Amino acid sequence: MMPDMESNHHLNRFLREEDQKPLQHLPYTVLKEADISQRQLDDITQVCSTLSVARSAAIILLRHCNWNVSKLFDNWFDEEDEVRITVGLFKNPPVDQFSTYGSFTCEICFETFPGGDDFDDQRISSTFCDHFYCRACWVGYISKSIANDGLGCLSLKCPHPCCGAAVGEDMIFVLAAESADKDKYLRYLLRSYVEDSYRKRKIKWCPAPGCDHAVDFVDYVGGSGGACDVSCLCSYKFCWNCNEEAHSPVKCDTVAKWILKHKDESENTNWILVNTKPCPECRRPIEKNQGCSHMRCRAPCKFEFCWICLGPWGGSHSCNSYLQGVKNESDKRKEVAKLNLDRYIHYYERWVANHESRQKALVDFQLVQDVHLKKLDRKYRQTNPILSFITEAWLKIIECRRVLKWSYAYGYYIPKHEHGKRQFFEYLQGEAESGLEKLHHCAEVELEEHINADKPIEDFIEFRTKLVQLTVLIGNYFKNLVRAMENDLPEISSFGDYWSCYICTYVNEGSATMCVMCSSQSPVHGEV
Amino acid sequence: MQASRARLFKEYKEVQREKVADPDIQLVCDDSNIFKWTALIKGPSETPFEGGVFQLAFAVPEQYPLQPPQVRFLTKIFHPNVHFKTGEICLDILKNAWSPAWTLQSVCRAIIALMAHPEPDSPLNCDSGNLLRSGDLRGYYSMARMYTKLAAMPKKG
Repeated sequence: MMPDMESNHHLNRFLREEDQKPLQHLPYTVLKEADISQRQLDDITQVCSTLSVARSAAIILLRHCNWNVSKLFDNWFDEEDEVRITVGLFKNPPVDQFSTYGSFTCEICFETFPGGDDFDDQRISSTFCDHFYCRACWVGYISKSIANDGLGCLSLKCPHPCCGAAVGEDMIFVLAAESADKDKYLRYLLRSYVEDSYRKRKIKWCPAPGCDHAVDFVDYVGGSGGACDVSCLCSYKFCWNCNEEAHSPVKCDTVAKWILKHKDESENTNWILVNTKPCPECRRPIEKNQGCSHMRCRAPCKFEFCWICLGPWGGSHSCNSYLQGVKNESDKRKEVAKLNLDRYIHYYERWVANHESRQKALVDFQLVQDVHLKKLDRKYRQTNPILSFITEAWLKIIECRRVLKWSYAYGYYIPKHEHGKRQFFEYLQGEAESGLEKLHHCAEVELEEHINADKPIEDFIEFRTKLVQLTVLIGNYFKNLVRAMENDLPEISSFGDYWSCYICTYVNEGSATMCVMCSSQSPVHGEV
Repeated sequence: MQASRARLFKEYKEVQREKVADPDIQLVCDDSNIFKWTALIKGPSETPFEGGVFQLAFAVPEQYPLQPPQVRFLTKIFHPNVHFKTGEICLDILKNAWSPAWTLQSVCRAIIALMAHPEPDSPLNCDSGNLLRSGDLRGYYSMARMYTKLAAMPKKG
């Protein structure tokens, strides 16, 4: 069996090039929980050894300075006493005024504890002050703070109203009522390292539900308002700037508008889409609630029509025979509001369709990886073809579905008067979309055929060539589409009050209703 | 539950002892429920509340003293930090700055201090807060005085 050497050669070279492409340097790092703990521990250890303080004191100091080690050192070496007073790590706690003997009254429960063997065991202060409370009250005080104060439990103070002495980790661990409280405290400590960080907007949690990773965006400059996609290790992609799911190249404000609108109307729109047909006369959505197909629209329209063909219901209506090219010309009188909704539905439907298609592709891709690739590998083991092209095709599909989905939000917000822009954009989008459908079909249906049917290796090589070419082609289409959206099509909008003919591309004046060159109709005047 | 009851009982005993010591505050526990208290406090001198006696209602939670008691004025009072209709009090130690080392007695003292030193920037009674913030001390004084006379002082004749 000799595969087509020529195409195989190209193919392998293509795949090799793809493999050898140097890993793009990412401007951010995804940190696992262990990485965060390690960084935090490193900082704490550094502070402990430099300032000769205990771990619990180092935590209190670092948290005060938002985990900024160098700022802490600056403050500490400038004004150690002041820092100590602010955070409640008093150097010389006031001398214990009570005598060590005799009894002691807790200022919280007002219980009096007699002197004796368990005297010191019951008399506990925060170690930085001389306010003593009994063990039971301390336990209650600490567990209540861990339960209710959130991150605030990390800066717990002595219960005395006028005392700012800190209660550190060491004390909490000794007195925490349950081990669950300790775990909770440690979780808050970890969260604090990300959420209280002085590097605000440079480190944050991955917003995916259940994901414990944080992302450290080293070089983030911010302020541009542009989208900035970040891909977490949990495979969730989100926009660093607005925390929504990844939406590049569409800008954050467009996405925000879209999501707001989508929250407002999506439910209604969905229901209408699924359950109704518009009246052919007045366009009002109609839900069919009876069995026969003879529909009568509500007053004042009262239009009678056939549910199936949406044609008028005559005396002896029938739509059983197929007629070519019959169009209903009665829908010229659309209301503006209805038009807008229709327009929105148009974009929304496609946005949803691509979203769902992507979700499905994610599931399918998992199946391809887990099952299909192994099958293919067994089947064509002798010839040992490289199967990574299938993975690449699927990754391309998933990414392109995402871009395409957001391109509908972008398309919806292209200003109405910028027809040239819209036309050009829709051309690019159309190319990209039909290409993607081909690719998706190829990777989905045709791949299935090769897995299930017993086809010769030549067929598979041919399939491989086709899929690789499609992947590259679709990649180029989407590159163009993405570039257009990123640049916001400036070359088109600069036309101003002109429109370019979509047949011959001649640039006509805005007022012209027909193309001066080829007499085709202006999109401005031709559209409803 | 047991801890709060024990502590309230201790406070009750303390109050009996201190009654003479602080003549401005009279704390009374409900006969049948140790978690319900009322207090009579005297309006501080050199304020529009001078000469008035104001009644406070305490509802003590079971987690007391880890959680603060709920306190409100039963007597009508015109003060920026007291809700004119419900008598609710906006005071940090009754919310997030609570410490279990505070007692019902010390809460009363804090409320007396609040009457003398209103915080017009976080008002529950906007009319009162606006008078103070716009510098109309005379207006504030006369309104507060009027309500003290109407609600917190024995009717003459």
